[in-house]
Amino acid sequence: MKINLEILNTACIYDKNEIKELEMKQLVPKMVTRRRLTRASKIAIYLAHKVDFKIGRIMYGSSFSEMPATANILKRIKDKEAISPTDFQNSVYNTAASYLSMLYENKNEIMTISSGDQTSKQLLKLGAIKALDGDEILLIATETLNIPNIEEVNHCIDYLECGIALKVKVTHSSANLDFIKTHNSLKIPNSLNELFIIANQFDENRKNIIEIVI
Amino acid sequence: MTIKNKAYITSTALICCSGTNEADLFHNICTKNSFIKTDANYFNNTPAALGKIDSENNFFDDLILKCEELLLKSNLTNFKETLLIVGSSVGGIAITEDIYFTNGDYKKINPNYHNINTIQTLLEKKFTFLDGLSFSTACTSSANALGYAHEVISKGIYKNVLVLGIDQLSQTTVGGFLSLGVLSSKPCKPFDINREGMNVSEAIAAILIQSEPTKNSVELCGVGYSSDAYHMTHPHPDGLGAKSAMEKALQQANITSDDIDYINAHGTGTQANDSAEANAIESLFGNKPFVSSTKSITGHTLGAAGAVEAIICKLIINNQTIPTNTNLAMQENVNINLTMENIKQKIDYTISNSFAFGGNNCSLIFGKVK
Repeated sequence: MKINLEILNTACIYDKNEIKELEMKQLVPKMVTRRRLTRASKIAIYLAHKVDFKIGRIMYGSSFSEMPATANILKRIKDKEAISPTDFQNSVYNTAASYLSMLYENKNEIMTISSGDQTSKQLLKLGAIKALDGDEILLIATETLNIPNIEEVNHCIDYLECGIALKVKVTHSSANLDFIKTHNSLKIPNSLNELFIIANQFDENRKNIIEIVI
Repeated sequence: MTIKNKAYITSTALICCSGTNEADLFHNICTKNSFIKTDANYFNNTPAALGKIDSENNFFDDLILKCEELLLKSNLTNFKETLLIVGSSVGGIAITEDIYFTNGDYKKINPNYHNINTIQTLLEKKFTFLDGLSFSTACTSSANALGYAHEVISKGIYKNVLVLGIDQLSQTTVGGFLSLGVLSSKPCKPFDINREGMNVSEAIAAILIQSEPTKNSVELCGVGYSSDAYHMTHPHPDGLGAKSAMEKALQQANITSDDIDYINAHGTGTQANDSAEANAIESLFGNKPFVSSTKSITGHTLGAAGAVEAIICKLIINNQTIPTNTNLAMQENVNINLTMENIKQKIDYTISNSFAFGGNNCSLIFGKVK
């Protein structure tokens, strides 16, 4: 089965360590809320703002999700200390999408998937199947791998914080984007590859359509 | 959503603290035979009542065995034409914990056996699937996996879907829920006025969903999703998100609240969940359908809970028996119909609720095949 998705808007952001300009004071005015947000949540909120999406269905993906919270928890257990409740509630894979839903009081279906290096690919398939219902859907993927001692396990990713968002809807028009593999010279996480390829081809002066093979 | 095909639960296999197969689990639910035990081994010698699987096998060996068992029960010879959908909240975290707590560093951690995709990676060593993905939405993970299975079959995209609900006990989850102050030191008492909290448990639940029914199949008739958009760990006190998910499931199943005979509640035994869920049930159903939580027997199997309770709903419909609540002495909300004994009666439809951190809600409706 093939489903064509029109890419209505895209946003992409990455940094080798920590993305600096996420406009949090503007996007999340309440300090009490802002202080609880994880890095992935901040990136997701920033990207949703950039593609002008507030209310509707959100499909979120991440291979490793909330690594900073997970690393904090593991270190505290190792050191025989109590776990921070905030770290625990922020360690679930759907944290970023949930904070995004709370910020805009978005009560729609919000899903989180995690499929390792195939996360972007599966997110596009999920989004395409959901989009058959006719609504505009937000696809977001993030990785936040900037934790102390990550070099002990990371030997191939240069950009430790990355996020990509696509706002999509189903179309019957022909595809004009493709997945021709380009060399990933940026060394972003593989889990973001397919979304990154699409975002790189996006041209706001034309219709942007990609064929998703299920 | 346009429904091209119906979705049926045709085969199941499971292991949890209260049973290594479906018959034993259902017997233990109906006889109030709980295997939840106090255990202080999981977090700094702090006692908590947990539901640990009693098995001679490694947890992930049991995963393979349960998939093999399901395959033998099914009309399939392999999974080559089957979509795999995993629902898990922690994936391989227990593997990571073993290595990290032994070595004190990350050096020997394999990222492929840390994240949620660990389950699919392990399964693909033994089986070939048409395709696969994993849902991780905390305690709604496998309910959402089942919802997606319903969707891809209904839309005519796949004919066979294997849904796996799976979560293993870990120091992270036990310590995490302790930090939130929601763990009970005794087997939980969902919906009781004197409830003290939940029991973290582990389980593996495998469910084959197909577009054609077989003997003893149960239909997955409707799915409803919603987001509370309220708080990261607390549901809306009136259960607005829960109610919305149940309403959407009824709408998709094309039935009304009067058609529901039994509600398998999320019913964790925490103060916040049970009062909010009871409010939602009261508001939508009144006191007509019977309600129980089976978590006093299975414990809260986190990401596996939706799949475990889908199997329980299938057993309820197949046996035409509504199970009793266990440990319920004095109900807090007296306006819902909590069962105090097993009831043999005609059961056409059941609804199963799953709610999670982040206000993620999923309700599933199961029905007798007509």
